[in-house]
This record gives sequence, C-alpha cells and structure tokens, in this order.
Amino acid sequence: MGGYGDVQMIDENGLRMDGRKPGDVRPITIETGVVPVADGSCRMIWGTNEVIVAVYGPMEAHPRKIQRQDRAVLDVAYNMAPFSTTDRIRPGFNRRSREISKVTADALESVVLLELYPRSKIRIGIEIVSAEAGTRCVGLTAASVALADAGIPMTDLVVSVASGKINDVVVCDLNKEEDNYGEADLPMGVLPNTGELVFLQMDGDLSPDEFKQAWDYNMDAAMEVHKLMVEALKGGGN
Amino acid sequence: MSVPLVPNLLRAHLSDLALNDSRLDDRSQWDGRDVKLETGILARAEGSARVTMGDTIVLAGVKFQIMTPYPDRPNQGGLMCSCEVRPIAGRHWEAGPPSPQSIELGRVVDRGIRESGCIDVDELCIIPGEKAWQVILDLHAISDDGNLFDAFALAGIAALRDATIPAERFEIGEDAPLKVSKTPIMCSYHKVGGRFVYDASYREELGGDERIHITLGDDDHVHSLQKGLKGIFTAEEFDEIMEHAKARCAELREIVNG
Repeated sequence: MGGYGDVQMIDENGLRMDGRKPGDVRPITIETGVVPVADGSCRMIWGTNEVIVAVYGPMEAHPRKIQRQDRAVLDVAYNMAPFSTTDRIRPGFNRRSREISKVTADALESVVLLELYPRSKIRIGIEIVSAEAGTRCVGLTAASVALADAGIPMTDLVVSVASGKINDVVVCDLNKEEDNYGEADLPMGVLPNTGELVFLQMDGDLSPDEFKQAWDYNMDAAMEVHKLMVEALKGGGN
Repeated sequence: MSVPLVPNLLRAHLSDLALNDSRLDDRSQWDGRDVKLETGILARAEGSARVTMGDTIVLAGVKFQIMTPYPDRPNQGGLMCSCEVRPIAGRHWEAGPPSPQSIELGRVVDRGIRESGCIDVDELCIIPGEKAWQVILDLHAISDDGNLFDAFALAGIAALRDATIPAERFEIGEDAPLKVSKTPIMCSYHKVGGRFVYDASYREELGGDERIHITLGDDDHVHSLQKGLKGIFTAEEFDEIMEHAKARCAELREIVNG
C-alpha cells in the first residue's frame, strides 16, 4: 500500500518514531497578541510547525466589487515563508496555497457572524514560518484563535487535526516522515461545542474501519486542543 | 498598496512635537527604540534571526541551493537577498505581486550586505564552472510599526552569521558554518516635522517626508546609501546624520557580535 511500505515507522511496542502512541497529538503551544499592529493575532507551535496569524478588520472592503450588501467577506491568505521548508520555496502564490486559502475561508465563514458587518472585509493572514506536516490544520486552528483575539463574534472556534495511516496502523496527527511515507491523510475541522464539521479533506486509502478510527482520533484530539485554545485566549498563553 | 491618506492633523501634530524636540512616543530626535535580537529561531532555516524594535517585528531566514556559476565568474557562488512584506504585517500592506516599496526594501538591504564583502563568494565555489553554493537570505515582516529597513538589515546579517552550509544534506562534504567576515549595519532617518529623526515609527513615516538609509561596515566604511521619497535635504543635515550613524552602528554591531 502506498508504495513506501518498507519504511518502518511503528516499533514492536506500537510506538511511533517520535515516541508517541497512535492516538497522541504533538506538543502544542499557543500565544495571542504576537503581532502588535494587528487587531488580533496568534502564534501556534505544533510539533515543529510554527504558524503566525494576524487578523485585520472589519475594515472597508475594496475594490467595491468584492463587497456584499448583507455581510462581510473574509479575505484569507495562506502562505509558506521561503525558509519554512527543507528546500526553499519560491515566494508568491501557487495553486496549493490558493486552494488552502479557499478551504480555510470556507471553513471560517461557517462560524464568523458575517451578517453583523455588511459591506466590510475581515482580513486573515496565515504565515507558515516553519513547516512540518499538517500546516493547513495548524493555520485554520490558529486563525480561529486570532479571530477570537480580535474580538470578532463567532459561533464557535474551529479545531483542525489530521489523522492518517502508516504501516497499516491508523495514527493521529501525522508528523513529517509519517506524512511523506504514510498511506492516507484525513484532515478535519471540528466545532468543539457541537461536534459539527466545517472542513474536510482526505487522500489515500482507508478501509471503512480505518476511516472510523481516523475520524474518532480527530474528534478526540480536537477536544484536547480546544482546551489549550481556550486557555490561551483566557490568559496569557500556555 | 493603496495610497495612504495622510491626515493634515497628523502632520501638524508632528511639526508641533518637532518644535518642542519631542516625538509621538516621547523619544528625542536621535533615540532608537529598544532592539531585541534572537538567532537560531526557525527550525527549517539554515540560519535565522528575529528582530524586535518596539512594535516592529521581522524574521530573516537563510537557505542554500546549488547553482551553476555564471560563465564570466566560474569561481564564484552567489548571494541573493529577497524581501516580502505580506498582508500579515500591517493593514496598509496588501496581497499581490511585490510592491515597489517592498522591492526597494529588499534591494537596499541586499546592497548593504553584498557591498560590505562580508561573504566571500569565491569560498562558495564547489567545482569551478560547474557547482557553487547560492546563499539565499529571505526577509519576512511580521509586524510593521515603521523602519522595516533597519530591522531587516539587522536580522539579515544576524541570520547569515547564524548560518550553516548544509553540505551533508547535499552529499558534498561536511556541514560548516558560513564564513561572515564583516558586520554591515544600517541606520535610517526620516524627515518628520521638518527635521530628521532616527528610527521612525509607522505614524512618523506616514506623516513624514523623505528618508535616508546608510549602511556602514566595520571601520565606518560606507557600503550603501539610499534616499527615498519626495523631499530635499542639505549637506549639513547629511553630515549630522552621518555622525549619528557612526555611533549608532557601532552600538548595534555590539548587539550582533554579542
């Protein structure tokens, strides 16, 4: 399966290369107010991912053609810094970052009370300054914290986690090697208060049972990460 | 970048402050904000630095690539300095292709570092005419409260000094620190309320006029100059700035040499 099956990433005790059990999430720290000139911001360090998100607005939407008479628009820009990966990335937009910006905006539009700010724009900049695996999940999660830090009304935070499969074992929150050599990847965006979903992608190969396991891992991890997000927002980080 | 509105009230206020030798944040004409420099802070970069000056925060990261030397310089590697100010850094910065402002930023910082000769491009050659290292310094703004130029230049030279050539990953020998023989430092001055001030904040830049950037190397050698924006200045004003720059560059060089 996957063509990389000979790379052994789970030891005889069922532990992963970084010592985690299959259902464990990488260490996470969350800090708000890290971009002093922004209305709201968040730095999230998740494994060796480091993501900085800044929120500006609500502000005037221009050009006028992007305005909506009955609601605000979200302008999401996901970007990987040139030095965020092993091989340098050429600066500028590419198809991958455009797609991630779009699905992130789609997810956040489902929770932000956009109708409170007709004809305005809320800008969300997501900068990946160090990438490991799962940057889209960290970006989306950090963006919801930054929106809350900016005081923008939302129905819920969004917690995004990806589970996948390596060596035929379903594991939660893939790291870099697991993502490179793994056999499947299922990123989800969960609303922790209701268990509803606003973001879902998947690629690879999962049996119905494996899919159920990956889904459950994501749900459990989301609840765990949600506690850290609330803690960070309530008082000076963690 | 949209054309910012400059309130006349702000310009008038800045002029009043200048008359009383004061500034928006109570600094005097030649006072800089506190500078904090951290290095080795980015997991994936071969060298990195973060500079915090008041509410201005920037990152610099160094990456290496293998390049084919230019035909007219077969024994030399290359140094490239690129700068991006993305919408995260302030509400006045917008997405899209690099603006003239951010291109100027990158090029002025690049000239100061390149012309100081702090990196010996001959040492970057691996096989003459075939293979050489290209050092790429990427500057990334996180929060723009003015004077990105100085913050970028400081983060840039600090990141280069922190850099390791990743030879093992490219299977050409052992990792080694990048040799950086000099420490060029930039100081920038903005005309605000009719006089030059050092280390302007964003609101001072907004309500100010022309700016002058000076990069000095070790022994106070001048490596790059740039006058930006509309405005006229006198030789006497330039002399005064240059005197201050010499003293301030020495202080900042101490921080980098740490």
